[in-house]
Amino acid sequence: MLLATGLGGCSLLPWRRQPAPPVGLGQETRQQPALSGDGRLLASLVERGGRTTVLLQERRSGRVLPLRHLRDHQPHSSPALSWNGRYLALLVQQGGRRQAVIEDRATGRLQPLMLPMGLEPQRLSLAPDGQRLALEVIAGGGQRIDVFDLSGLLEPDLAPGQRQSGGGEPPAP
Amino acid sequence: MSTPRTRSVQLAAGALGLGLLLQGCQGGLRPLPGLNQQLARLGSGQSPSLGEGWLALIASRDGGRPQVQLIDGQRQLPVPLPGLNRADSLPIQVSVDGRGEHLAVVRQRDDRTELVLYRRSLMAVQPIAIEPAGVPRRVSLSTDGRVLAVEVSRGGLWQIDLLELP
Repeated sequence: MLLATGLGGCSLLPWRRQPAPPVGLGQETRQQPALSGDGRLLASLVERGGRTTVLLQERRSGRVLPLRHLRDHQPHSSPALSWNGRYLALLVQQGGRRQAVIEDRATGRLQPLMLPMGLEPQRLSLAPDGQRLALEVIAGGGQRIDVFDLSGLLEPDLAPGQRQSGGGEPPAP
Repeated sequence: MSTPRTRSVQLAAGALGLGLLLQGCQGGLRPLPGLNQQLARLGSGQSPSLGEGWLALIASRDGGRPQVQLIDGQRQLPVPLPGLNRADSLPIQVSVDGRGEHLAVVRQRDDRTELVLYRRSLMAVQPIAIEPAGVPRRVSLSTDGRVLAVEVSRGGLWQIDLLELP
C-alpha cells in the first residue's frame, strides 16, 4: 500500500495526488475544502445559480450526498465535518448576519448555534468528535478565537472503536 | 379522568415545556473560559483548527508577526513547534490532525505562497509541491492525518487538490 502510494504520483514526494471529485459540471470554482476525520467525505463550496453553496461528496467516488437543510441561506462559508461526517458545521446568512449552524445528517436536524451578542463569526472549526467548536470572531474591532463546548447539544461522533472519554482508567502508556 | 378543558391545559403546558426545551438546546453554546483566556493571552487569533484535544491557530500579539501556535487542550498551554515559525515567513492558514502530530500550513515566503507539512515529533518541515503550479490558500488535513485537501488558485479558477499521505 505504501509502495503503491509512493509510486502513484509523479512528484518526488511520497504521496499520491487525487483530483477533486467531479461534480458533473466540468470546470468550476471550488473552495474551502473540509475533510471528515476519516478522510472519506469532502465538503467544499461551489457556485449554484450565482450563490455560494456547500456541497458534500464522497471523496473517492465524487458521489454527492444530500443535505436536508442547506439549500438556502447563502452565501455559505467555512464548512467543517466531524469524524464520520455525521455533523456538518458551517456559516450561513440569516437575515443581516452570519450564523453558525450544524446539520446532523443522522437525524436530519439543523442545529442553530446562538452566539453571544456582539460576536461576528468569520470562520469555524469543529472538533472531530463534535464536542467542541472553535470560532474566529470579530468582537470590539478585534479578531480572536473563542472555543465552545457542544457536549450538551450533540452526541459524540467517534471513530470506530473509540470509546467516549470521561470514563474508566486512561490507557496505559 | 380529565375533562376537555384540563386536557387542553395539559397540552398547552406540554407545548410550552417543549418550546423552552428547544430554546434551551439552541442557547446551549457554553464558552470554555480557561481555554479562551489562554487564547486571549496569545493575542489576535485566526484560522482555528481543532484536533482531538488540540487547537492549532495563527496568533499575533500587539501587532507582531503572526505565528502558528498549537494548544494542548488538556493543559491549556501552547506546545513548542521548533523549526516551524520563521522570521521570513507569514502563516496564512493551518490545519492540524487529530493527534497534534501533523500540521499543514500555507505560508507566504519570499513573495511566494507555499504549502508545508510539519511533523512535530521530527521537528521537520516538508514542502508539498503544488502540481500543476498554483497558489495554495485554504487547507484541510483529515483527523487521521492520511488525507490533505488544499484550495489552489490556478489560471483564475479556484480548485481543490487532494493528496493521500503515507
